[in-house]
Amino acid sequence: MRLLVSDLTHRYDDLTVLDGIDLTLAEGEILAVIGPSGCGKSTLLGIAGGIVAPTSGSIRVEGEVPDGCLNPITFIFQDFALLPWRTVEDNIALVLEHHKLSAAERRERVDSGLRRMGLSEFRNALPKQLSGGMRQRVGIARALAVRPAMLLLDEPLSALDAQTRELLMDDFLELWRREKTTALYVTHNLDEALRLADRVCVLSRRPGRIRELVTIEVPRERRQEPSAQAHLAEVRGRLWHLMKAEAQMADREIARA
Amino acid sequence: MTLARLTRRALIATAGAAFAAGTLMSAALAQPLEKATVGALALSSSGPIFIAKAKGYFEKEGLDVDVKMFTSAQQVPVAVASGDVDFGVTGLTAGFYNLASKGAVTIIAAQSRDEPGFPLSAYMATNAAYDAGLKTPADLKGKRIAITTVGSTFHYMIGLLAHKHGFTVKDVTMVPLQDVPKMVAAFKGGQVDAIIAPSTVSRQLASDGAGKILGWVGDETPWQLGALFTAPKTMKDRRPLVEKFVRAYKTALAEYHAAFNGKDASGALVKGPGYDELLGIIADATKQKPEIVAAGLPYVDPQARLLVDDVVNQVKFWQSEGQVDKSLDPKSVMDLSVAGE
Amino acid sequence: MPDSLNPTVTPTASTAGQPVRFRGGGFTVKRHPWAALGAFAVLIGLWEGASRLGLASPLFLPPPSAVAHALAGMVTDGSLWLNLKASLARIAVGWVMGTAGGMLVGFAMGIFSTARAVGVPLVSAFFPIPKIALLPLFILWFGIGEPSKFATIGFGVFFPTVIATYSAIDQVPRNLIRMAQSFGLPWGSILRSIVLPGALPGILAGFRITASIALILVVAAEMIGAEYGIGAFVLMAGNLMQTDTLLAGVLVLSLLGLAIGTVLSQLERRLLNWR
Ligand SMILES: Nc1ncnc2c1ncn2[C@@H]1O[C@H](COP(=O)(O)OP(=O)(O)O)[C@@H](O)[C@H]1O
Ligand SMILES: [Mg+2]
Repeated sequence: MRLLVSDLTHRYDDLTVLDGIDLTLAEGEILAVIGPSGCGKSTLLGIAGGIVAPTSGSIRVEGEVPDGCLNPITFIFQDFALLPWRTVEDNIALVLEHHKLSAAERRERVDSGLRRMGLSEFRNALPKQLSGGMRQRVGIARALAVRPAMLLLDEPLSALDAQTRELLMDDFLELWRREKTTALYVTHNLDEALRLADRVCVLSRRPGRIRELVTIEVPRERRQEPSAQAHLAEVRGRLWHLMKAEAQMADREIARA
Repeated sequence: MTLARLTRRALIATAGAAFAAGTLMSAALAQPLEKATVGALALSSSGPIFIAKAKGYFEKEGLDVDVKMFTSAQQVPVAVASGDVDFGVTGLTAGFYNLASKGAVTIIAAQSRDEPGFPLSAYMATNAAYDAGLKTPADLKGKRIAITTVGSTFHYMIGLLAHKHGFTVKDVTMVPLQDVPKMVAAFKGGQVDAIIAPSTVSRQLASDGAGKILGWVGDETPWQLGALFTAPKTMKDRRPLVEKFVRAYKTALAEYHAAFNGKDASGALVKGPGYDELLGIIADATKQKPEIVAAGLPYVDPQARLLVDDVVNQVKFWQSEGQVDKSLDPKSVMDLSVAGE
Repeated sequence: MPDSLNPTVTPTASTAGQPVRFRGGGFTVKRHPWAALGAFAVLIGLWEGASRLGLASPLFLPPPSAVAHALAGMVTDGSLWLNLKASLARIAVGWVMGTAGGMLVGFAMGIFSTARAVGVPLVSAFFPIPKIALLPLFILWFGIGEPSKFATIGFGVFFPTVIATYSAIDQVPRNLIRMAQSFGLPWGSILRSIVLPGALPGILAGFRITASIALILVVAAEMIGAEYGIGAFVLMAGNLMQTDTLLAGVLVLSLLGLAIGTVLSQLERRLLNWR
């Protein structure tokens, strides 16, 4: 599924958050969006997912959806958004409840999600009993259960510690190796962008405008190899340079306000 | 209204000045005044106390009496029992006798009585009950009657009525509603067939057309409504104080009786000496209009004589109702050695 | 402290250097399960002793033994059960009516902003009215039978339930609702699967308050011509100045409160084990 954003502007009352965003996501592409906090990244995802109405501009999707897709555009949240009163499996089953599915299919979708994220033995656990990493795995399993055509990830690893983050990045790589699901991946962490994304979109401080779109030339599977390191280092340098300037100015504006 | 008040004030002031001369002279000779407190309700039945205070009868006895006002009859004997006040005047209830049985209070003189020709409490029927045949107090047998509480004066009045007409309180359904406003609400709402209500309330209800007055408790069953009482300990340890207090009280009582309780040959009430002055004193103390006070002035015995037989009967009644301990000797609730029989 | 650091103090051969002095401890909550019971026992003992020694008049402070005797009398003559049954029925019906109505209105106010705009000022205006002041009106509206007693308790329970319910709905994390919307859950499912369970802690906390209110109001309700009931019993004992009986009735009321509180704690533990 492709995503087409054109001349998108968003205001909360008087506060302009996004200004003239033009963006296209190709089928199966993973686009990382980075930018200082408050520049409108979450708002952009919300608009893309249809839960925030944009002030002006258009946002459209086109293309095929996979077999058995129940919710083409699906979120993975920074705070996991699990229902604390439901067990792991019931949290996943929640998003299937309003669909007409056979009991067997329902069960198969929940089970395969649990199996793929290594959660089978925790199916009856409550979220409070799980580590942060495990909770996000539940969030991912829940997203997979609806067989999405496009994933919208809002800083999915920000709430986790460094090691867990590494482990989950591997999980994402494995996921995208098996399914070429288009994804918009919001982060403020350059490592995540460099490991997972095909392209990186740098937003300016608020109001968010596209500063630059950087393509990472090395395919995802080969980025651990020594030969890739020179290019990655160069991209990192460019991205850091852009981000640093914006972040510094954003900080000053906050201090002045 | 304002004019009436003004003249009344002026009157009291003149009277006060007249007495002041005499009082000052005796006070100058006498010891400093002995302090005492009496608990009362802001009702005309407490009138003799207000008169004794306003006309300086307590001072003449060398007493500086402070009248403490209470809002419910139940509080007064409790205040006497706890020593917050030295004396009390109110209606007699089962709760009073329970305090007496624990040695906390004792009756020392009479207060007001329900007496023929003195409309204090009325039997009232709702219009529906009246139309259905409830025409006289005797018809109350088998009816639903709102009262304030179990053990109240209203409860006893029903007992007296039942006894007179050959039935018992078991033959009526008493509905305890705690206070008069709730009784009136239940009466107006047709939830009960009848109530026994104070004169002001019953006259209002009758003039509103909410029900019919069937008769007055005083005409039907005269009884000893209230008493002056103190703690047995006060009686024992401070007998001179009690003697002085009762003397002043009796002076006021006689004056009250002469002014308000006189009747002509036809049995109609006539104004006695000092009528307006005393009415003004009571109206001031109760914060009521004189007309209202005048309509509900109870009968008092000029010598403060207690209807001893009725008090004994009250105790026996409460004992038979299970509200007062059977072991209480009815004679033990009173000590009339100061007031005299 | 400076002393122990004083260089002239020579360390003994066996201990090189100085032991670190323990400075932690305290400021933590430890469980003393028997302390409360002990305190009760001591208090009751002192009270009984004071009465026996004649320090407290039995009229003003009946000794625990007299209260126990009055209570035992209520048990043996069956009046305890008779009164308790009457009060429990009133509390149960009144509380359920007030709670059902309150939750309905509370949910409407929690979910629909128009309902809230209308409801908040109304609730603020009616909540503080002392229900006892309304008893004469309740008698006119509902009579002096059971309905007016249910109404007294129901009205008392209704307003706090409304407030507890809509505040509880405000406490439901918005991110969970957004999540549900992003997965396309229909409105009814969001209400049932997210708003209701999410508001449950606040609603249960409200139950605790309304249960106490119901207990307080049963006494007021039984001012309206009640033949039986713990409230009626206490009122009568008060009117008759039977202080030992009065305290026995009060004891029954507070034990009832304790029992209801325990049931609610169990309920919370069961329903909110996810917290
Ligand atoms: N619902 C809202 N109403 C008003 N302002 C909002 C709302 N959501 C976000 N904002 C403001 O819009 C700006 C962008 O928010 P957001 O999209 O969350 O930024 P980011 O995810 O990049 O940190 C922030 O300044 C934020 O305070
Ligand atoms: Mg954000």
